[in-house]
Amino acid sequence: MARSADQQGRAVILGTPGVGPVTPDLIDAFTQIVESHADRTAVVHNGRPLSYLQLDGLVQRAALRLGAGPGVVGVRTSRSPGVVAELLGVLAAGGTYCPVDPAFPAARQRAMVAAAGCHLVIDAETVPQGKSGVEPVDFTDLLTPRGTDGPDEPDGPQAPAYILFTSGSTGDPKPVVTPRGAITTVVGALRELFDLGPADRVLQFASLNWDTCFEEILPTLTAGAALVLDDEAHSGSFPRLLRMVERERITVLDLPTAYWHELVRHLTEDRAALPPSVRLVVIGGEAADPARLADWCALATGDVRLVNTYGSTETTLITHAVDLHGPRALALGRPWRPGDRVPIGLPLPHVLERIGAEGELMIGGPALALGYRGLPQATEARFGSGEDRWFRTGDRVERAPGGVLLHRGRLDGELKIRGIRVDPAEVEAHLTAHPQVAGAAVTGARLAGRTTLVAYVVPAPGADTAALAAGLRRHLTARVPGHLVPGRIALVERLARTSSGKLDRAGTHRHYEGRTPEETELTQRRQGAAAAEEEGNDGR
Amino acid sequence: MGVDTVTAIFRRVLETDGITPHCDFFDLGGDSLIATRVLSAVARESGVELTFEDFLAAPTPESLAAKVAGAAR
Repeated sequence: MARSADQQGRAVILGTPGVGPVTPDLIDAFTQIVESHADRTAVVHNGRPLSYLQLDGLVQRAALRLGAGPGVVGVRTSRSPGVVAELLGVLAAGGTYCPVDPAFPAARQRAMVAAAGCHLVIDAETVPQGKSGVEPVDFTDLLTPRGTDGPDEPDGPQAPAYILFTSGSTGDPKPVVTPRGAITTVVGALRELFDLGPADRVLQFASLNWDTCFEEILPTLTAGAALVLDDEAHSGSFPRLLRMVERERITVLDLPTAYWHELVRHLTEDRAALPPSVRLVVIGGEAADPARLADWCALATGDVRLVNTYGSTETTLITHAVDLHGPRALALGRPWRPGDRVPIGLPLPHVLERIGAEGELMIGGPALALGYRGLPQATEARFGSGEDRWFRTGDRVERAPGGVLLHRGRLDGELKIRGIRVDPAEVEAHLTAHPQVAGAAVTGARLAGRTTLVAYVVPAPGADTAALAAGLRRHLTARVPGHLVPGRIALVERLARTSSGKLDRAGTHRHYEGRTPEETELTQRRQGAAAAEEEGNDGR
Repeated sequence: MGVDTVTAIFRRVLETDGITPHCDFFDLGGDSLIATRVLSAVARESGVELTFEDFLAAPTPESLAAKVAGAAR
């Protein structure tokens, strides 16, 4: 598929993809389910059910309000059926959905709305004002008027369905544009993978700002199953979560791997099992810890499918999956042991894969994103150009017997913080934008078995070093989401460089680790964890 | 549940000895995921099921112990 950029630098598709027809479109699939399952429950919100007919009413109202072809619609998210209705409403109207978290710093929200080229920004239901001190951000000066942003978008499978952001090295959010054909194809594949049917009740757990929520919402609502939204899922209390899962008879849980690790710890210490309604647990976002997997297998989980998944925003939700435990598990011949390498999976049927130079996993096929909006060079660097598009994942892999892939680390410095991709250069760009900073190196450090961000900062001459660390924390908190704010900021004299003069993040970390007074007490533990320093990263 | 018990939970979860009743969990690098370990331990040992929001409002052993005592009454 060829692409070029128009005057606005926007990626424009010129050719047609060499992939089979994608039918029916996601919205057609939803409409068919509404007709055949009108009275069944589509969404449960804190115990209150909404039927497919009722949800469809909300979707149609949202689509009517937007009008046909509304362009890129920013939606201020909230955990409510309203956000589900707006997502489907934008797609039904032929628009492009772009979630905006009202809890993000105002500057970040504005940068996202500008980078996505939003034509309007709406609320996904009344976002409670004043809650957590969140004031709605005014975007009116940033909105792109309709008809002024180049040629009309294509219709059909190549029309953009949604825009989400990944971490970019410049400090600006990097918008990924995913076409309808990609999301339709992948949602169909996930219905199969999860074996979803009308009897299923799927918890909506993932943040509404990243694509994992789509793998909960869209397969569920095109299978006639029920999507369960419940505040107890986000209380931070496992006893409350598990009681809710039992009360709501949840059958499918899709959890960030880091959160699943904590769930396994909790269940193991309580010697408890999951409520019996749960038949499938999907994990993904970072490498599964084989020690937690061994713990999981020792619990009464033999009837529960545990499915590990892998994918990138640029390749749409999930490209690889494997049953690690339960009735369909890959035959290992013995229990999982700490020290095993946990596979990231086999490609789903729609996925083309190949292993490129340096063992890098390359993904092709109908699930590729259109590219990064307004960034033709970055798009070409990761997706290539011409007809034969392959996405460079940046993940090093190797093939195990049986064809499953094993993850072997990153080719770049990208990290996973709470399951979210972080390019350390993005945090460094925000730090060095501060007038009292001469240089910065950001990397990952282990704390209590988890990766947290640590920043090493060289103060500019004459900087007020006594107040700088706290000032930098305020500086970042006002500009970037929480996962980009380092857990620790240490002021240092200089940064390590490689022999060619490039910033050496790992070398800086090794040099200063444990030297700053506030960190001294953490040193012994981290040395113990040094062997586990290179946290696996599976791209999502 | 006393301050000493909560301090011991912080030490165990953060794998750090140098924790006093006034240390802030989140200043010590604790995040929302590690916080679930504290909340699970508090629930296990006191029967009080606090939420992450409760913990954000009471992030030291001293304030969290007071919160548990208040909830248990």
